[in-house]
Amino acid sequence: MTDNPDDGLQAVFLANRQSLLRFLVARGAGDDAEDILQDVWLRIARKPPGPVGAPMPYLYRAANMVMIDRYRSARQSATREQEWTEATSGPVPGISDSPSVERLIAGQQLARKVEHALAEFPERAVRVFRRSRIDGIAQRAIAEEFGISISTVEGDLRSIYRVLAELRERLDEE
Amino acid sequence: MTLDRNILDEAAAWAVRTSEPGFEDWPGFTDWLERAPEHAAAYDHVMLAVEDGAAMLEADPANDIDEAGPVLWRRWFAPAFAACLALVAAVWVWQANDAASVYRTVPGETRQIALGDGSVIVMAGDTELIVDPDRDRYARLERGRALFEIRHDDLNPFRVDVGRATLVDAGTVFDVSIRRSEVGVGVSEGAVIYNPAKQNARIEPGQILTFDKASAAYDLADIPLDQVGEWREGRLTFLGSPLSDVAADIAQASGIDYRASETSGERPISGSIAIEPLRADPASLGPLLGVTVERRGETWILASR
Repeated sequence: MTDNPDDGLQAVFLANRQSLLRFLVARGAGDDAEDILQDVWLRIARKPPGPVGAPMPYLYRAANMVMIDRYRSARQSATREQEWTEATSGPVPGISDSPSVERLIAGQQLARKVEHALAEFPERAVRVFRRSRIDGIAQRAIAEEFGISISTVEGDLRSIYRVLAELRERLDEE
Repeated sequence: MTLDRNILDEAAAWAVRTSEPGFEDWPGFTDWLERAPEHAAAYDHVMLAVEDGAAMLEADPANDIDEAGPVLWRRWFAPAFAACLALVAAVWVWQANDAASVYRTVPGETRQIALGDGSVIVMAGDTELIVDPDRDRYARLERGRALFEIRHDDLNPFRVDVGRATLVDAGTVFDVSIRRSEVGVGVSEGAVIYNPAKQNARIEPGQILTFDKASAAYDLADIPLDQVGEWREGRLTFLGSPLSDVAADIAQASGIDYRASETSGERPISGSIAIEPLRADPASLGPLLGVTVERRGETWILASR
């Protein structure tokens, strides 16, 4: 390695460009894969992470995050469009119903629904989920903390992920 | 968009794994994504649902109206707003968490799984196998390679799923190996039926069936009986295989990071390799297969001349 700590990461990036591109294509980037890969590298170059223990997983993770960000913004712009449509063609034309009491109450009740769905799970699973996703604790550390195996932690998380995904899917479809 | 239930299960499993900071199996994740175009969308869906679900849980700890609540729920539910009130009354049923066990090996490792019925599955390195305790006589090979020694039961045949393909035993010892674009099924005892509902191809002892992951088209060839599952004895034999497959197989068995050079020629590779000596001298593979071996850090790049 040379004096510049980024050189190592950059060398790995260049040597594994094809694998990363393949990942991005598989991840749904399509024709944008090359552009996105460049974006991934620019983000890293702009904010160098310092020495990275495992460069390839680091680069894959960065690419994965970019794809998740893209998915999120695509969804949000679709949402904004729909809200605009609703606001302009609501029950009373031209009058937005956005701050209505019903809407607020519905949201509260739906938040309850998430909690309700999670309440169906054993208490431990929900605590594992909170430790992982809210406190940001690594799964291995959670396993130690709870005195359970890592595959039990994975199993707990998987089942909750699954239920949240299904809840959301149901709401998307309505 | 209605997501397939199995895909959603798999997507949730990958979402859990890829969220772990130490996760390293990105190539395995890539393989899964490539298996079907719906996989990426399902994964994104799960990742976002979980992220927002956690944010909602954090912002709204089961108490009264607070500031963050409406903003967060709108991120979730605004597209579905028209139906919100109706949904509040909807019955929410969630499927019980399946108790499937996932077994994984790292490259160079082998692992033996004994099943309740006396059958044994031997996993090669870099392999992932799913066994569901609630469904005996069933396993799913996600990745890598495994040798199945199945106690046969005419009334209750053993089933192995590989991607979208199904293998059903008819009294059997067989080896399944998932490659980049193909899957190989070699049989040394009994017989295996490939996709009984469709191709319904019977694989006899001494035969290896290779099917394309994407098209499911298959090809039957002969294989010496002692080469089926020979990796268990620390040996791999290749007969006219692409270098990329050879590199992947040897990496899987040895734990040494062999890869095929992207600029390598297309010449098919033949040879029989004992794995153990490679651990002491990875470069010794070159003369055995007639390829060049170049070291780059921890990686050994193979190129055919």
